[in-house]
Amino acid sequence: MSSKTATIPADLLAEFEAAAKRPLAQRWKYAFIKTYKPVMDDEKFRAFDSMADYRRWCEENLPRFLGYHRSEE
Amino acid sequence: MFEYRQAEEVRDAFARHSVRYLFLGKSGAILLGFPDTTQDADVYVEKSRQNGEALVAALVELGFELNTQQQAEIVAGKDFVQLKNGPFDLDLIFAPDGIERFEDAWARRVEVQGFMVCAIDDIIASKAAANRTKDRESLSRLISFREYLKTQGS
Repeated sequence: MSSKTATIPADLLAEFEAAAKRPLAQRWKYAFIKTYKPVMDDEKFRAFDSMADYRRWCEENLPRFLGYHRSEE
Repeated sequence: MFEYRQAEEVRDAFARHSVRYLFLGKSGAILLGFPDTTQDADVYVEKSRQNGEALVAALVELGFELNTQQQAEIVAGKDFVQLKNGPFDLDLIFAPDGIERFEDAWARRVEVQGFMVCAIDDIIASKAAANRTKDRESLSRLISFREYLKTQGS
């Protein structure tokens, strides 16, 4: 490990270096997955006047396990 | 599923219609080389009538089924629009958390094989500001990735 990369955890560094060797199309293919998200995927179109409105809607309507709620950390 | 071929179609349609956009969020980070998974493609779009009209034309060309009212809402530049009425899902963000002005993000952009992408600093800033559980989970990895990019001269 060089001094430049010393602050990066070794497992992450290995992942970043491996990814850098893959062509973009392959990285994209590995990256995108699709699973059904309850509520979120039940409408074809939503528009919100503000990000605050969108965040509020997520908090009030989406199941917590989807991860769209504000972190309490 | 959002296939790479479709991403290229987005890139090319947006270029044909001169849409001012930047990939943001994890999809932007993935374009920069970040190894991770995501379900969403997030696009930060400049909020202007002209850009909104160009965006609608490009989306219709890509196969999104937008009625007149939906087209008007995109042109008007709602802060957040979620599209699940096309060949793939796309989130349009006109005012992301953590980024003040499109012009500033545009000046810092990275172009990856013709894709316009937010700088890693902006991607991290927007995730930190959004502060959702799913953002917190990826933030430390993204910060390490930023360190890695620096070592690569990016």
